[in-house]
Amino acid sequence: MTGEDPGPLVRLFGLTGGRARPQGEAFDLVAIVTTAHDAPEPGDLMPEHRAVLSLCRRPTPVADVAAHLRLPLNITRVILGDLRRDGLIGIERPRPAAQTIDQRIYREVLDGLRSL
Amino acid sequence: MGYAVSEPGTAAVSSALAIKILIAGGFGVGKTTMVGTISEIRPLHTEELLSDRGIGVDDTSGVESKTTTTVALDFGRITIRDGLWLYLFGTPGQDRFWFMWDELTLGALGAVVLADTRRLQDCFPAVDYFEQRGIPFVVGVNCFDGARRYEPAKVRRALGLGEHIPVVMCDVRRRVSVKEVLTTLVTYAVERA
Repeated sequence: MTGEDPGPLVRLFGLTGGRARPQGEAFDLVAIVTTAHDAPEPGDLMPEHRAVLSLCRRPTPVADVAAHLRLPLNITRVILGDLRRDGLIGIERPRPAAQTIDQRIYREVLDGLRSL
Repeated sequence: MGYAVSEPGTAAVSSALAIKILIAGGFGVGKTTMVGTISEIRPLHTEELLSDRGIGVDDTSGVESKTTTTVALDFGRITIRDGLWLYLFGTPGQDRFWFMWDELTLGALGAVVLADTRRLQDCFPAVDYFEQRGIPFVVGVNCFDGARRYEPAKVRRALGLGEHIPVVMCDVRRRVSVKEVLTTLVTYAVERA
């Protein structure tokens, strides 16, 4: 996105209705997003929303979704918040770090790094 | 191990886990190079839209009424296994983006502070930041061509680091070297956990 071209920005406002923060509970940059596979997909979704549902059939972190959509993070978050509100995706709830990374995970990460 | 897919009608309960590691340091010290050297994908790029005040865009007035700017965020990924990923985030350099560090460090495993011996002072803010918040970090001294080699002990002294904080000489262009820095960090973080 370039600073001079107002087009993309206008488009971004269209995607979010001018909102800059997502609905509902906050979620992390690497929170895992998963498409709810039982929810019927509404017919009137915007392409970006549809792209999220397609991408997140495999659980995908928020940062990856943003990179995939080529959209700024906060715009991506508004989209994700909307999709969550509509029950189309699930977003992992924040967990304390100590609870997330246990000894077993550390070990796996170390082994994984060493075998790179 | 497979993914725990969401239960019908509920938010996803996923066993997938993405772990953040931050790569910090002064401008031009090699953060993005380091991410690119070890990442299995070409570093991905995203950005955050900011208000002119640099503290995020607020709700009520909406984005359109403010002067917006963007802060770039580059990151790479290492797949440890199906459903377990390491994400390496190069931290935004400018001081006015500190608020983004707060989000980046939330739940992070730890950080690498890259240092250039020609301008060691550039990494002071990052060292201070992680020390104050008790986030495990190691210092990677990027040995640029032509830069004078320093002993780790000298760097440690110059940065006023405690004896326990690992200082590793590295070349961020070399995969084996980046691997060593990261394994040092994870080993250090697990000891402190």
